[in-house]
Amino acid sequence: MLTDWRFWFSVPAVLALGVVVLFPTGFLFWMSVSHWILTEPGVYFYGFQNFATLLNSSAFHSAAWVTVSYLVLSTTIMLGLGFAFALALSRPGSPGYLRALIVMPLVIPPVVAGFTWRFLLNGEIGFLGAYLLPAIGLETNLLASPVGALFSVVIADVWSRTPFMFLIFLAALQSIPRDYYEAIRLDGAKRYQEFWLVTLPMMKGAVSVAILFRIIDALNTFELIYVMTKGGPGRATQTFSLLGWKIAFQGFDFGGAAALGVVMVFATTVVALIVFRRFMRSA
Amino acid sequence: MGSISKRIVRLTAAVGLLSATALPTFAATEINVIGFGAGFAWSDLFGASGTEKTQKLLDFEAKYDLVVNMEFADEEVARQKVLLDLVNGTGNYDLVMLGSDGAVQTFSAAGYLEPLDDYLSTATDIFDASKVYQPFLEANTVNGKLWGLPYYSFGAGVVYRKDIFDKYGITSFPETTEGLEQALQTIKEGLAADGVDDVYPLTMRGAPGEEPSLDLSGFVYAYAGYPAWFEGGPTTPDEIKKEKAQPIFTGDFKPGFETFVRWSRDYGPPGIATHTWVDMMNLYAQGKAVVLMPSAINAFAGIPGSEVPEVKEHSAFAPSPVGPSGKAVQSFWTFSVGVSAFSQNKDAAYKVLAFLTSEPVMRDFANSFGWPYTTYPEIMNSPTLTDRWPAEMLSQIEASFSDADPHYFPYIPELVEFMDQIGTAASSSIAGTTSVDESLEDLQGWASERMTRAGYYK
Repeated sequence: MLTDWRFWFSVPAVLALGVVVLFPTGFLFWMSVSHWILTEPGVYFYGFQNFATLLNSSAFHSAAWVTVSYLVLSTTIMLGLGFAFALALSRPGSPGYLRALIVMPLVIPPVVAGFTWRFLLNGEIGFLGAYLLPAIGLETNLLASPVGALFSVVIADVWSRTPFMFLIFLAALQSIPRDYYEAIRLDGAKRYQEFWLVTLPMMKGAVSVAILFRIIDALNTFELIYVMTKGGPGRATQTFSLLGWKIAFQGFDFGGAAALGVVMVFATTVVALIVFRRFMRSA
Repeated sequence: MGSISKRIVRLTAAVGLLSATALPTFAATEINVIGFGAGFAWSDLFGASGTEKTQKLLDFEAKYDLVVNMEFADEEVARQKVLLDLVNGTGNYDLVMLGSDGAVQTFSAAGYLEPLDDYLSTATDIFDASKVYQPFLEANTVNGKLWGLPYYSFGAGVVYRKDIFDKYGITSFPETTEGLEQALQTIKEGLAADGVDDVYPLTMRGAPGEEPSLDLSGFVYAYAGYPAWFEGGPTTPDEIKKEKAQPIFTGDFKPGFETFVRWSRDYGPPGIATHTWVDMMNLYAQGKAVVLMPSAINAFAGIPGSEVPEVKEHSAFAPSPVGPSGKAVQSFWTFSVGVSAFSQNKDAAYKVLAFLTSEPVMRDFANSFGWPYTTYPEIMNSPTLTDRWPAEMLSQIEASFSDADPHYFPYIPELVEFMDQIGTAASSSIAGTTSVDESLEDLQGWASERMTRAGYYK
């Protein structure tokens, strides 16, 4: 292999990849088994103690529950909405301005989206929280209630990231050959059968890609939740990302934060593999 | 060709001369500073944008042959930049922003800060420590050493709407927490009877994280009569280790915690479990809160910009109420600045620090914003503030400095983490996610494990 000149062309790319991906990942793994707490002098090998402390903490358990709830809720709503919008606007002649309108939130940074929603939902001065919701009989202060706060960050995230799903589904829908629909219509299929027997099977690959992106995105969501609730009230919206930030920047426990990072890498990989095996291979 | 050679020679000579004359400028020692609050902090030096240099600063730079490079960032971002700079030991920032609610304790224990005691005598023409309110220096003193000099600082107090108190027959502000709770109940009932549903008797801060802990710890102190975090109330690592003092979050810590949570729930706005000092300030400024406590400075930050005439005309100050222990509810903080242990120019850095916290600079800060808070008695008792505020109020605020116990919570390296856990527990109970007992049980378990892991009970 070393004598093959083509091999040497790949070396720079492999080296670059090693520097920007492998080294930080390796460093993360090394940190996760190190005792590295700012308040306690000395960095040394700590075995799996960081993992044991993390997995036994109530903060980890509640963050796991919040992360899964957030992931499932936001992914389900996003997939549904993204698919529905794409179906509605995939037909030739559908208005372009509507597509632009749907895609618009995607260009707004998550921090700005978070602040916008925080002010909108504020129970004392927000347009939605203080005026519109009470006007229709919903007196609850969404951001201050544990369940309401979780729904609020899900809503903000759905608003912000559904356009991405929409774009994936729109592209996939527009790539389905029209012949398939014509053929099934000749066989006397009804509208719902067109959807069930042609659209859905042809969209399998796109859906799995969308789910994969979404899972990675949801597990890493930080800015939006941070500016909206800072993980609260209490720990009601404290996902793994926020917990990691707290462990590192409030607890100054870099080994503990790295251990959580490794858990997140592991969780993401497992879920991605499941999605890949379940959908992508058969797509 | 010859003419071109001559030109090159002349040009080279000119560049050489220019370089030589410019050399002194480049030789000036550069001091990098990081802080937050552009346009607010040191606006008399760096302008409203935080990127200018006023004549006052230029004069200082010229006099001491220094160049001050200020970097402003959002508070949270600045804190993280400071942490990363110190952890990596880069010394990129010579002066770092601190805070007496965690950063001073943690960074000094980690060896990231330069003790300032020996420097105090080196620039007395700029900064005289004996002229500063001593509790603000005490707040930055850990294990007998001074680690930061105070800039924006405050003590505890209450700002309230006297017109609303009068309306509901409360003629004087209660001196005890018990009396204040009765007053809050009276106001709550009065507002409800009048059909006012968007004004709340009380505003405090209950957001998750470290935010509520400064004020909540003040309640704990007033109810227990001592910093009731560990058995016997030790406040230093050595004392805790010596006595093997266990956490007492389910013990004497509870009454103050429970009161803070109950008051927030019963008299605060519905969103209080997510409120920061900014929300407190805004609610009071908008006339939606009757009492703001115990970090009264947050009301003074909002009053000048208020568009509600009653807020400007009828706001009054009262000393922080006394708890059942006979001690007042505390809230004491200094935004301080310290010298990085990794700075290559510590002497010059101290000079800049001395200047940034000097009396003339603090006087300009007081002039610009007019808040009745300053670190120098001389400014407090000068026309800069006496022309703007009633003498009685200024003396009460002055008393809130001198009567304060800056160490009303333990000064341990793990303080930031504890503040975060305590604040989050309070937020959780205020929101109703967990009961007070559940929150404190959780806190107790976490604290025991954390202190054991940190080696306090070997």
